[in-house]
Amino acid sequence: MSLFEGLGYSNDKNVYIIDIGSAYTKCGLAGETGPRCIIPSTVTNSRTGKVTKIWDYRSTAELHENLKELLSVLIFRYLLMSPKDKRVVVVESLLCPTDFRECVARVLFRHFEVGCVLFAPGHVLSLLTLGSACGMVMDVGYNETLVVPVYEGIPIMLAWQSIPLGGKAIHSRIKDQLLDGGVVKTSQHQDIPVASVPDSLTEDILEDIKVRCCFVTEFSRGQAIQDVVLRGADASKMPTPTPAIDYPLDGSRIVTVSGKIREQSCEALFELDDDERSVAALLLDSLMQCPIDTRRELSENIVVVGGTAMLPGFFHRLKKELDTLAAMPRYKQTLGVKTFKFLKPPAKENYTAWLGGAMVGALETLPSKSLSRDAYLQRGRLPDWCSLDQETWIDDRTVQRR
Amino acid sequence: MTSLTKMATFMDVNLVRYLCTCGKRLPPCRLYLCRHCLKLRCADCVQHEVDSPYCPNCLENMPASEAKLKKNRCSNCFDCPICGHTLMTRATSQMVPSSEDPSKSTPKKMYYMACSFCRWTTRDGGLADQSTSNGGWKDEENPEAKRINTLLESYRSIAQREKAEKERKKYVKRRSHAGFQDRYGLTSVAMKWKIQPAMSNLSVKETEKVPPAPELVSPVEDFDPLPSEIFSDIVQLDKVTYLSHRLNAPEFQPPATKDLRPVHKHLLVRRSLRCRECDHNLSKPDFNPLSIKFKIQLIALNHIPEIRIMAPATFSVNKETVVTFTLSNPSVYSTVVKLLPIEGDTDLDYMTAKVDLPKSDLVLALHDDTAVYDDGTKAQQEFKDDPRVVVFRRANKLGFAAKVTPFCKEGEVKVSFMMKHEFRNTAAAIQSEDKEPKLEWLEHRIFINLGRIQL
Ligand SMILES: [Zn+2]
Ligand SMILES: [Zn+2]
Ligand SMILES: [Zn+2]
Ligand SMILES: [Zn+2]
Repeated sequence: MSLFEGLGYSNDKNVYIIDIGSAYTKCGLAGETGPRCIIPSTVTNSRTGKVTKIWDYRSTAELHENLKELLSVLIFRYLLMSPKDKRVVVVESLLCPTDFRECVARVLFRHFEVGCVLFAPGHVLSLLTLGSACGMVMDVGYNETLVVPVYEGIPIMLAWQSIPLGGKAIHSRIKDQLLDGGVVKTSQHQDIPVASVPDSLTEDILEDIKVRCCFVTEFSRGQAIQDVVLRGADASKMPTPTPAIDYPLDGSRIVTVSGKIREQSCEALFELDDDERSVAALLLDSLMQCPIDTRRELSENIVVVGGTAMLPGFFHRLKKELDTLAAMPRYKQTLGVKTFKFLKPPAKENYTAWLGGAMVGALETLPSKSLSRDAYLQRGRLPDWCSLDQETWIDDRTVQRR
Repeated sequence: MTSLTKMATFMDVNLVRYLCTCGKRLPPCRLYLCRHCLKLRCADCVQHEVDSPYCPNCLENMPASEAKLKKNRCSNCFDCPICGHTLMTRATSQMVPSSEDPSKSTPKKMYYMACSFCRWTTRDGGLADQSTSNGGWKDEENPEAKRINTLLESYRSIAQREKAEKERKKYVKRRSHAGFQDRYGLTSVAMKWKIQPAMSNLSVKETEKVPPAPELVSPVEDFDPLPSEIFSDIVQLDKVTYLSHRLNAPEFQPPATKDLRPVHKHLLVRRSLRCRECDHNLSKPDFNPLSIKFKIQLIALNHIPEIRIMAPATFSVNKETVVTFTLSNPSVYSTVVKLLPIEGDTDLDYMTAKVDLPKSDLVLALHDDTAVYDDGTKAQQEFKDDPRVVVFRRANKLGFAAKVTPFCKEGEVKVSFMMKHEFRNTAAAIQSEDKEPKLEWLEHRIFINLGRIQL
């Protein structure tokens, strides 16, 4: 007989698992193997049709209204369950600002009257999908890439690192290249420069070009490209370009997405900036901040999450970059590790953290770890323990860095 | 709004707003009246609830428990994975070996699904035709499901134990120090597998209940490089899915169109609305998805008098303009309305003009559904109207004049006042049978935008 028979599972309670990412919101129910929906983190005004990004808020009042709308879509369009007295797990980033989380809590408790909410850190949740308590969690998102080392279940807070490189940086790289010499073919067989119709390069089009045309190129080709583009090597060193793609902007216009754009746009993630930082270097920098005796285990348990990491070629490139960087003088002497190993979670990168949330949400211990509505209403705001180890700490750190 | 023509502007429902109990200002068609609290409510300050889910294509209700099991999707209806249009079943005949004589072949009816809008078919997805018309289409299974569920089972039993331990500790009154890992109770679970071997020889009984740690995945050291064709082959863009296609199937997210599968149609729900204060329903749809009726629908317009601007007027600063408003009565009882000025409030946000309201009571005739068939000769209730105040009267409607004097130099002319009216509480009457419904006085604050100052 199975040991688990007869256990009352809390997933009978239909726990909502919500992860409001910078670009996409993942939402579903506890105990399930994938989210019910992944939709853009935007709200559409029903009267004007105007689309607003959730994270682009000018005031908390605006955020409050937009969160109500977004959650209402999630609940009444996808989850189809009355929110009253429901349990909720909110997956959040280490970098989530206090006003955002306060607003999420206010909307959930006051407007939707949910029973309890657990705010859970995404990096810890991602590790949970592996049954692991140790690892470097790298989240390659839309606005930034964030690395958080977790050792024996405890995030090494002094060592987290972030860099504003992610999906958005690739979008602007595609846009820059298209504006610089890109050509649009019109239905009248005229060629006009993209720069004369810059408005046609919407965020959606840029994202679509990234997803359907671009890839993270191989390490050696990437280096050769960087040599020519950034370090002034002779143009003959440039690898043979990949074939261009005729990309339909709309029914009548076609823009040529050159092989250069396809291959070089994602280099934005791997080029070392003025401070010698890149997505790969970020991981090593974080590792360098970790106690020396933890580094070996951490470097052999790298977990990469976030939608941007789903670009073809990303993992292969990251691994090569790490190997190469680690052999460079600035790391070689002090890093103390040479091998990098990755753990692959049982989920697509863009919902790994969500899956961790779906696991935690299915446990009977959930209510005891969560904040109840009564407790929230009594205080009128989130208690300190919700943010203690995160915001307070980030504030100190931000100050130190400046 | 300024770009609209004057005519369109004066038809705009947003020009006359009533103050909701929650502080929002909304047109009365967007407000509800709770018959129990006798207060105005709006969609934002009531509790929304999910009524039974139904499929928008086959219009069949599905019990909530079944809907949950089927992940809120209809088992019989499918959407096109490319354009979202509903797929149609098509019949075709195929030659199959005859059952009597395998050397001969007989025609057999086979079915596939096709999109009549974008022409996608299940054959494009590499799916074999089915022998029954109502499908039997196999759903894809998440290849990681087993791994996820094994891990989840382990977490569950450890959480179970943790909970039991906590209960026990409550009696022992021993407070364990709350470290970081205890705060979320997440990582401590994974931690226990590490500690477990050390504990095993101490207490066999204790560890008996704990399942072995799930087999951890072995780390990956090398990843597959990009396929070399990516550098040489020409990409056929129509063979690559959009991100939205991929996200339609979160657990699979296929990059190639050939891997797209028909999408089970997502269910819809009708919502019912409940007053947060008294828990009574303000709106409850009919159970039958085919019906557009409501069991309960307490829209404010059906219960409280509605004010409208009758015709547009022109305004100049400090100059008196006579504006005609109409007032209509939705109630089956004649209703007395009092319009009262707001004293001592000079917030320019919603008051930029002085308004001289009728001092006398306005008596509205009852609303009679058969009144539309009247030729007007039928003896109406006698009203002794002051023609300077009541400009016209027709059925349950009257027009009244008010003098508006803007005190702002430019911008919008806005007035605000209170409307007090009789209300026959039929909800209370139901409880006490043949008695006349109880008469109540309700009071609403009205905000009216009359147009712009003429410069
Ligand atoms: Zn309201
Ligand atoms: Zn159906
Ligand atoms: Zn279609
Ligand atoms: Zn009420």
